[in-house]
Amino acid sequence: MSNQSTTPSATTGIVLNIQRYCSHDGPGIRTNVFLKGCSLRCKWCGNPESIRVKPELSYDPKKCKGRECSLCLKDPFPKGAFYFTEGEEGPVKVNWDLTSGCDEALCSLCPTGALEMYGKTMTVDEVLAEVEKDASIYRSSGGGITLSGGECMLQPDFSAALLKGAHERGMNTAVETACNVPWANIEKVLPHVDTMLHDHKLTIPERHKKWTGVGNERILANFKKAYETFPNTEFIARTPLIPGVNADEEHIRAVLAFIRPHKNVIDYELLPYHRFGLGKYEYLGKVYELDDYKTPSDEVVKHLQAIIDEAFGRTGQRAPAAK
Amino acid sequence: MNTNKKRIAIMVGAGFVPGMNAVIKGAALAAGQLGWEVVGIRDGFEGLLHPKHYPEGGLLPLTPQLIENLDPSTGSVLGQSSRVDPFHVRQINADEMVEEVDQSDELLAKLKAEKIDALISVVGGQGLTILYKLHGKGLNAVCIPRAIEGDVAATLVSFGFNSALSFTIDMLDKARQAAQAARKIAVVEVLGAQAGWLALQAGIAAGADAVLIPEIPCDLQKVAARLKEKMTTRRSYGLVVVAEGAKLVDNAKAGTDKPSTLKASLSPLASGDNSSHVIQRSGHAAETVASRLQLLIAEETFPLVVGLWARGGNPTAVDRQLGLAYGAGAVQALNTGQNGVMVAFVPPAIKFVPLAEAINKVRTVPPDNEFLKTAQSLGICLGN
Ligand code: SF4
Repeated sequence: MSNQSTTPSATTGIVLNIQRYCSHDGPGIRTNVFLKGCSLRCKWCGNPESIRVKPELSYDPKKCKGRECSLCLKDPFPKGAFYFTEGEEGPVKVNWDLTSGCDEALCSLCPTGALEMYGKTMTVDEVLAEVEKDASIYRSSGGGITLSGGECMLQPDFSAALLKGAHERGMNTAVETACNVPWANIEKVLPHVDTMLHDHKLTIPERHKKWTGVGNERILANFKKAYETFPNTEFIARTPLIPGVNADEEHIRAVLAFIRPHKNVIDYELLPYHRFGLGKYEYLGKVYELDDYKTPSDEVVKHLQAIIDEAFGRTGQRAPAAK
Repeated sequence: MNTNKKRIAIMVGAGFVPGMNAVIKGAALAAGQLGWEVVGIRDGFEGLLHPKHYPEGGLLPLTPQLIENLDPSTGSVLGQSSRVDPFHVRQINADEMVEEVDQSDELLAKLKAEKIDALISVVGGQGLTILYKLHGKGLNAVCIPRAIEGDVAATLVSFGFNSALSFTIDMLDKARQAAQAARKIAVVEVLGAQAGWLALQAGIAAGADAVLIPEIPCDLQKVAARLKEKMTTRRSYGLVVVAEGAKLVDNAKAGTDKPSTLKASLSPLASGDNSSHVIQRSGHAAETVASRLQLLIAEETFPLVVGLWARGGNPTAVDRQLGLAYGAGAVQALNTGQNGVMVAFVPPAIKFVPLAEAINKVRTVPPDNEFLKTAQSLGICLGN
C-alpha cells in the first residue's frame, strides 16, 4: 500500500500489545491494537494488564533462573521487591507492592526476559508500520485494524490519529469500547470508525455500578448519541455473558429494546464468559476478584441467542457480517 | 518510662479474624494507663481519607467508657475495608471514570492534621508491606500481625489462629460423623494457602487419616493406600484434611515429579514454585482431591469446605488473651521509642521486629517440626 497520501504522525500513546491475525473483532482478518488504561473495573476482566494507564511490571516465573541469578535482589532494583524464601528453590518471588519503581531499563537487566513491562509508549507511525505488515491480507479479507483495550477512547487523540491513518491506507477500522468516557472523546474517534463494537454489560444502573465500578447512565446516553450522530457507522452490541450477573433473558431483552430502534446497530453478540485472564493475573500479582463464577452453559447461551435471532428476524443464522 | 503524652491512632486492615476487638481494647487500655489519647480509624484508612462518608466522624475516640464495654465477640468495632492500600485508592473521578490514585501523601497529611503521633495497624502480609512503605515516608508505625493461618514469619503465635483451629476441629469432628454415617471418605478443605499449620494441627486433633499441606507435595497413591489399609467393614469411613494450598505430585506427568498447586493465592508472598499457579475458587482443592481419590480407591468420597467459616465468630480464651497482649505490646513498643516495627510473640517474650525484616517471609511448617513427627507417629498419612 502506498504511503504517499498519508499524514505522518508523531502522536504517542501507550500500547499494550499488537496482535495479528484476529478474526473476532470486526470483519475479515484483522490486527488488534490493545491500548492501556480503562475507566471501568469489571470484576470478570480478562485483560487485567490493560486496566492501569501507566506501564507496569509483568513477571513470568517460568523464565526466571532463580537463585543462581539473583540479579533483581540487588541494586538498582527496588529493595524488597524481589526475594527468595528460606529453604525454597525455584523462581524469584515478587512483592508487587514494592515494584512501582520498575521500568523498561530496569527490566532489561533481567538476563532471561522474566521481567518485562506491560505497556509501551509508541507513535502512531510505529503502530501503523506494524499493522501495515498484513495489508494484503486485509485487502483480500476485507479486514483491517481494531482498537481494543482497556478503553481505546481514553486516548482519543492517539486513537483518532491511528484510525485516520488506517483509513488513509485503505484499511477497514473498528473499535471495541465500553464508552464510559466523556462524549468529547467519542466525537473525536468515531468519524474514523467503520464498525464500533460496544459492550452492554448490565442494564440496571445499580447493578452496573456493583459489577463494573460505575453506573451506566452516561454509557447508555453515549451509545444513543453515537447511533444517532454517526448514521453511517455500523454498531455491534455485545454482552460478556456471566451466569449470576447478566446471563438472563431480562438483560438480553432490555438490550434488544434499546438497540433495535436504531437501524445502524446491525447485530448483538453474546460473549460467553471464560476464565481466560487468570494467567495474566499471576503475571501482575493481582487477585482475581470474580473467582467463583462459571462459564454459562450451552443451553443458556443457545436460549439467549435464539431471542436475539428472533429480534433480528433471522432463524438460526447470524446477521450479515459488518462491512 | 516515657511520660510524654501522646495521641495515637489504631486501624484494622482487610480480612477478618476473631479477636480484633481484644487487640483494640488491649491497645486502648494500655495507652490509657499512660494517659495517652487513642482514636480508631474506621474501615481501614477510609475514615481518615473519606470522612464525608461518616456523618458520625471517620475517627472513633476510643474512650475508657467505650473500651470498658467493648464486646470481644463481635466484629471489629472499627469496621473493616476490603482493601487497605493508600498508594492505590480506587475512586470515581469527576469524569465518572474509575481510577486508582496515590493518596499516601494525603493520608500522612491528615494524620498530621489530626495530631496523631503514631499509628498502630493490625494487618496481614500485604498490609505489612504497605505500612513498611508508609513508614519509609515518615510515618511512626507499629504493626500487629493478623495471620489466622499462622503464616507471618517473625511471630510464633498470632491471635485468631487458636479460634480458627478450634472451629476447624469442630467441623472435622462433624465431617467425620457424617462420613461414618454415610460410609464414605470426607475430604475437608481448610484454610492454609501457604502454610499447613491449621490443617496439620486440626487434622491431628480430629484424628484424620491423612493431612495434605502445601509444604509437602502429596502423592495421592500413598493416601489411597493408607485409606485402604484403615478402612475395614467395621470402620468403613475416612477423613482427609486438605489445606487450600496443598500440592499434588502429579502422577500423570510421572518422571517430572513436579508438584502442581491446587490453590495459590496471589498475595505478594505467594508467587510460587514451578509457575504452575492457577487461581482457584475456594473448594477446588477438596473437589480435586476427592475426585482423584475416588479413582484410586473403591470407596466413595465427598468434598466439604470449611474455608471462610473459620474466620468468623467468637475468639477463644487464648485469642482474647493474645489479642489484649498484642494491643498492649504495640503501646509498649511506642512507649519505649520503637518505630517501624512489628510486634511478635515468641513465647514467653513479646518482641519487636523491624518491618523490613518482617515482610517477604512466610512461616511454613519445617520438615523437622514436632507436629509433623506427632502426625507420623499417630499414623496420619502426609502423602510423602
Ligand atoms: S533477574 Fe530475572 S532471571 Fe534473575 S532472578 Fe531476577 S527475575 Fe529471575
